[in-house]
Amino acid sequence: MQIDIPFIFTALTEIFKALPLTMIITLVPLMIGFLIGIGITLIRIRKVKGIYRLANFYVSFLRGTPALMHIMLIYLGLPLLIDKMAETFHWSIQSTSIPILLFVLMALSLTAGAYMSEIIRAGILAVDQGQLEAAESIGMTGFQAMRRIVFPQAIAISLPNLCNIFIGFLHTSSIAFIVSQKELTGAANIVASNNLKFLEAYIAAALIYWGLTIISEKVTALLEKRVTVYNRGGVA
Amino acid sequence: MIQLRNIQKSFGNQLVLKGIDLTVNKGEVVSILGPSGSGKTTLLRCINFLERPNEGQVIVDDFKVNSKQANKKEILTLRKKTAMVFQQYNLFKHKTVIENVMEGLIIVQKQPKETARKLAMEVIEKVGLTEKANAYPVQLSGGQQQRVGIARALALNPEVILLDEPTSALDPELVFEVLEVIKRIADEGITMIIVTHEVSFAKDVSDYIVFMDQGEVVEEGIPTVIFNNPKEERTKRFFKRINREEDNLESNLTNAI
Repeated sequence: MQIDIPFIFTALTEIFKALPLTMIITLVPLMIGFLIGIGITLIRIRKVKGIYRLANFYVSFLRGTPALMHIMLIYLGLPLLIDKMAETFHWSIQSTSIPILLFVLMALSLTAGAYMSEIIRAGILAVDQGQLEAAESIGMTGFQAMRRIVFPQAIAISLPNLCNIFIGFLHTSSIAFIVSQKELTGAANIVASNNLKFLEAYIAAALIYWGLTIISEKVTALLEKRVTVYNRGGVA
Repeated sequence: MIQLRNIQKSFGNQLVLKGIDLTVNKGEVVSILGPSGSGKTTLLRCINFLERPNEGQVIVDDFKVNSKQANKKEILTLRKKTAMVFQQYNLFKHKTVIENVMEGLIIVQKQPKETARKLAMEVIEKVGLTEKANAYPVQLSGGQQQRVGIARALALNPEVILLDEPTSALDPELVFEVLEVIKRIADEGITMIIVTHEVSFAKDVSDYIVFMDQGEVVEEGIPTVIFNNPKEERTKRFFKRINREEDNLESNLTNAI
């Protein structure tokens, strides 16, 4: 077999058109997961009665199983549930009318939430206890102290981890092709089978992922510089 | 007026405060002295419920909090009447000097931003840090950070400022500037309770001295009496040891030269 180098570039431009969908499948779950993560973290740190164990279970199960399983479980399981509910309550929705993308986003949001909660928790625990005491001593409520003092510092501490999870999810988004999403990997697959040039298409896709990763590393470095100004002495 | 009644606190099985009573009048400066482990810092932290006493009452400006039934709202009200200066400064690291001072004014006291900024600048000037108003804590020396800590407490205009070993974490040559600032605000008639190891400073600045050991008040009174004529054996021993240490330090220095 011969490798067709010019075709890599042809494939590159073709596959690149799928970038928006990859970004959606990466960013939407991370944003929703961030919110889930904050909620889960607060429940676990404050040991909220009743749901505290549930939160522990959620993190343990979702981090203990591959993201591919989450997509499969939601994609196959949720429609059953929806159809059953629709039948019972006489709703007019049908699971087949729901776009598959929505199931993918839902599944990956749950995955992201579990990982995010661990990142945020580590960040919050890394903030000096004295910061919270100082906030309380001037009369702030627990919520004010968390929002204004602890949380901003926790996020600054977590920034490298947040960058890592972004890169991780950029790559995880590729498994959405399993349920026929035409993101980068899905597009590569199509280009490959249409032209029967598999290796070239996947090399092209790999190059795109690599490029995106490099860009996000650069962006994080810049962000880190800005967010942690207060930690470095030097300029104000 | 600040009143503590029968404050008891234990950590696990260990009773660290064995029922403390203390009254501090408005405008008074009270220093709490005692060997380490005597419970003086814990007592100070019980006043604003950073440590919740197991037993007893805290009364600040006619507002009474029973440690046993105290709910969140009461504790919050109590904390709004007090302010604290910490041994490790505990400045908000991600905020500049002026933001540190303004934070409580805006978020807790709900003052408009411009009023808060003006007030903050006044207090910052009082502790002599006007040029550093826009610096981050990490850019300041320990002494400067602690002066910001004092400014942050002072700006809130509390009934009482609680100072927890304010100079213990400082390099010796920076102690003086902080003590000087504390002395200056003491002269303005602000009520303060100071836990300290600086005996001569306590002698100088305080209206009243409380000597604690092993979770109880051993002796209390006005400075001249406590320092010159202590009645209790434990108080005498404490001052004797401190004097001896100072003498030793001096003779060591002389020998070294």
